[in-house]
Amino acid sequence: MWMQLNKSAFSLAMVLASIMAMGQAAEDAKERQEQDKQWLKKTALTNVEVNILGSYYSQDGNHSAVTGGTGTEELTDITPAVIVIIPLDSTRQLTFDGGADIITSASTDNIDFNVSGDSRNDLRYHLNVTYTKRLARPRLTYSLSAGFSKEYDVFAKSIGGSLTKEPRDGNSTFTLSGQAFFDAWKLYYPVELRPPGSNDEDPQGNDNRNSYNFGLVYSQVLSKRLQVSFTADVVLQDGLLGTPFHRVFFNDGVNVDGLSTVEIMRSNKLRIVENLPRSRTRIPLGVKLNYYISDLFVFRGTYRYYSDDFDVTGHTFSVDLPVKVTPFISITPFYRYHTQTASRYFKPFGEHEINTEFFTSDYDQSAFNSSKYGLGIRYSPLYDIGIFKTPFTKKGKNKFTHLKAIELRYAYYDRSDGLNASVISFDLSFDLMTGKRR
Amino acid sequence: MAIVLSASLSSCISVQEYQKIYLNDEDMILGLRRIESFEINFQTYREGALGANGGKVGGGCGCN
Repeated sequence: MWMQLNKSAFSLAMVLASIMAMGQAAEDAKERQEQDKQWLKKTALTNVEVNILGSYYSQDGNHSAVTGGTGTEELTDITPAVIVIIPLDSTRQLTFDGGADIITSASTDNIDFNVSGDSRNDLRYHLNVTYTKRLARPRLTYSLSAGFSKEYDVFAKSIGGSLTKEPRDGNSTFTLSGQAFFDAWKLYYPVELRPPGSNDEDPQGNDNRNSYNFGLVYSQVLSKRLQVSFTADVVLQDGLLGTPFHRVFFNDGVNVDGLSTVEIMRSNKLRIVENLPRSRTRIPLGVKLNYYISDLFVFRGTYRYYSDDFDVTGHTFSVDLPVKVTPFISITPFYRYHTQTASRYFKPFGEHEINTEFFTSDYDQSAFNSSKYGLGIRYSPLYDIGIFKTPFTKKGKNKFTHLKAIELRYAYYDRSDGLNASVISFDLSFDLMTGKRR
Repeated sequence: MAIVLSASLSSCISVQEYQKIYLNDEDMILGLRRIESFEINFQTYREGALGANGGKVGGGCGCN
């Protein structure tokens, strides 16, 4: 009797415990659901965001690959760009990223012998569209993208996608991504290497280059002030990896010392178009660490290791030190150092042997170290810099554009082979709002 | 990389959303800064090494 009573009490306790556990589980599930909703709400874009960007780039050097590793590398590039992010609803958005490069290049002017000819100027324009969707459960963000770019000798198409997983605690993210680029090249050879009877306007052939990039990014919060990310990429390329208008001069005994670049081009020194293997595998690995030192200073550090099967090995370090002059103004001095070994196919002007299979005199593939340093400034007040009526809107529609932030940046780049460059960039961030002022 | 990764993960703590005032600061963003994309582009062209920085790794000539 006593035993039976005990059994019944035990069964009752078990049933009660199960009911309580189920109740708790239901509570937990409800709480998680609420957290997921909050995450979606927190990360949802509510207004159309517009960024107007631009840069002016200027470089000079004396190792142009167009003229076989000797001669001017003077170049300027003006790059206007616009990025528009449109929220479709609370979970989906479309991003349009378009722009142009307006290039003036003294080195490509030497493809032919006409000084300041058509080859001096180039216009490249590009557009990329990305569709992004966020799923509250299981906290995934995925994106799909497609784009193109067009310049006088290359038409490139690209597709890509990424998948980001963020655990519920919000302290880490894991991103898998893939991109493919399909470049269609029109082959323009240096004027003296074109087949007899070639028309200067028409290309001397066509070829393709394909690039595939697979990437992993893992980021982790380490403390209330410290976070880190690790990146591993694999880049596979196949097709035309040389540039058809890059000359390579051989060690043929013809002495051209003391001649100008144009005189060398007109001389009888043996030359051929740059030739490289038709596949290349590149492996870059990176780590980035950000530390909030105090309300005045932030430290950002990166390191990248690079290796490929052309024998280029590289190490890149960079440090940014944003200084918060006020809560809304941040001034960032930065320094970047890069060092790399030469590609096994690289030799300077006139040093390649005639019987070599692959050859380049492009100093971008040579052994060098480079330093980049400069300053950035960002102004982003809490309540906008300015508000004005959105242009091109219908009468009666109250649409306002909020200028949220202005950013300027100057960088100077110095490479140990003598190439140097300056770039000045800006970024204006706007929010487009309907109905009322913020 | 693996050593750094495992050391980092073993030392990390769980930080609640309300404790992320410093981590959410504009200067603490780990991803690519839009304004830096121009510099990453020219570095991609001017150096044999590329990638692992959020910038593009292919497409177009870049041979000027």
